[in-house]
Amino acid sequence: MNSTVVKLLAGLGMALCLVTAHGFDLGQELKKAASGLQKPEQLAGLGGYSEEEEVAIGRQIAGSLLGAAPLVKDKLLQKYVNNVGRWVASQSERPDLAWHFGVIESDDINAFAAPGGYIFITRGLYRLLDDEAELAGVLAHEIGHVVRKHHLKILQQSKLVDLGGKLLAKQAGGDERVRNLVGGGAEIVARSLDKSAEFEADRIAVVLAARAGYDAFGLPGVLQEIGHAGSDSSVALLFKTHPHPDERLAGLDDAMGSRFDGVKGLALAGRFYRIK
Amino acid sequence: MMSTTRCCCIWLAALLLAMPIAHAGENGVTIKADELKAEPFRDAKTVGALAAGDKVEILKKDGGWLQIKSAKGNGWVRMLSVRRGGARKTAAGGELAGLAGLASGRAGTGRVVATTGIRGLDEEELKAAKYDETELKLAESYSTSRAAAQKFAAKGKLVARSMDYLPDTGEAR
Repeated sequence: MNSTVVKLLAGLGMALCLVTAHGFDLGQELKKAASGLQKPEQLAGLGGYSEEEEVAIGRQIAGSLLGAAPLVKDKLLQKYVNNVGRWVASQSERPDLAWHFGVIESDDINAFAAPGGYIFITRGLYRLLDDEAELAGVLAHEIGHVVRKHHLKILQQSKLVDLGGKLLAKQAGGDERVRNLVGGGAEIVARSLDKSAEFEADRIAVVLAARAGYDAFGLPGVLQEIGHAGSDSSVALLFKTHPHPDERLAGLDDAMGSRFDGVKGLALAGRFYRIK
Repeated sequence: MMSTTRCCCIWLAALLLAMPIAHAGENGVTIKADELKAEPFRDAKTVGALAAGDKVEILKKDGGWLQIKSAKGNGWVRMLSVRRGGARKTAAGGELAGLAGLASGRAGTGRVVATTGIRGLDEEELKAAKYDETELKLAESYSTSRAAAQKFAAKGKLVARSMDYLPDTGEAR
């Protein structure tokens, strides 16, 4: 038996475990599986994870990220960011997900998304922001990753097969299974996504910001700001895991074209919460 | 000494006042040829032409447009045609953002860590991170409901509108 087939079967085992646990129609899923057995990622897409599983995975990652960098202890700031983020997320295809936003203690300039709607921005990035539209733009980029399940797809591609085997052998319980999947720590958030996933999140971000009534040029403004941060170590991880801001701006320029010419939005610099 | 302090305060106050505009007096370079417009919209009168590489002084931002001064004239140019340059913005506390971490560690949390380097969040730190359920529960406690977020938006006079997602134009040039 060649190795691809073995992987496919192992993956199928995993997928079946998931669908059985959540009472999906097995017959239907098998039909889908039979029609889509060409590529491992298609198999990984089989039924996907339930929202409950996605949130469990996200919690594991978010809890680990917070272990590395705790929340900024400023309740008003955290509530403010949740209000802005939830309003922007309400304009997405997943308005009713239990979205969580937070500002974390790090002077690095970065933002992170975990599956299930867990989104964090560093104090370093927050401090660069001028107004609410820029915050909305940054959060909207991360919301884009969650909505399109970019990180989940990475997990499915890299760990699914492995996990399938373990699951069959051990019948691991909920939390342990999630830990097995995610691995130790919050390494997943430090991993690079495809460049195309980043460009896609940028394109989603400007639209979500505009839908929410904000100036759509918040995210481009932040990218311009970060772009001339040069090789400062505070942007090292961001630059390593994302295309250069200039490239992202060029991508947005191409995609936005003149579509936003008549679209006026608010920047809300006046009520922007200044971090202490 | 007094005058230095006062001078700093005035400078800081000026900075804080300037923050909503934020771009005043900042330099930039055009990254592609574009028209210079009399007002910040596409159909406005063209008052000049900029070539790639032209130096501009950024006066003001309005949506996707920047008001600029240049050797080739003054007016409005599309924001995405300009690369902003110059010094990084000063943080609200008056520190240069890039230097902020040098002495402060994780200031502000009561967990100040005495480090000499910038307190960052690198891959190693993320890999070694220990799951913190208490902090996660705290983060979850700050969640806002969809309805509450809607009220918050209305307070800011934000009005939702429909708009299609953008097509994939094949990434950057």
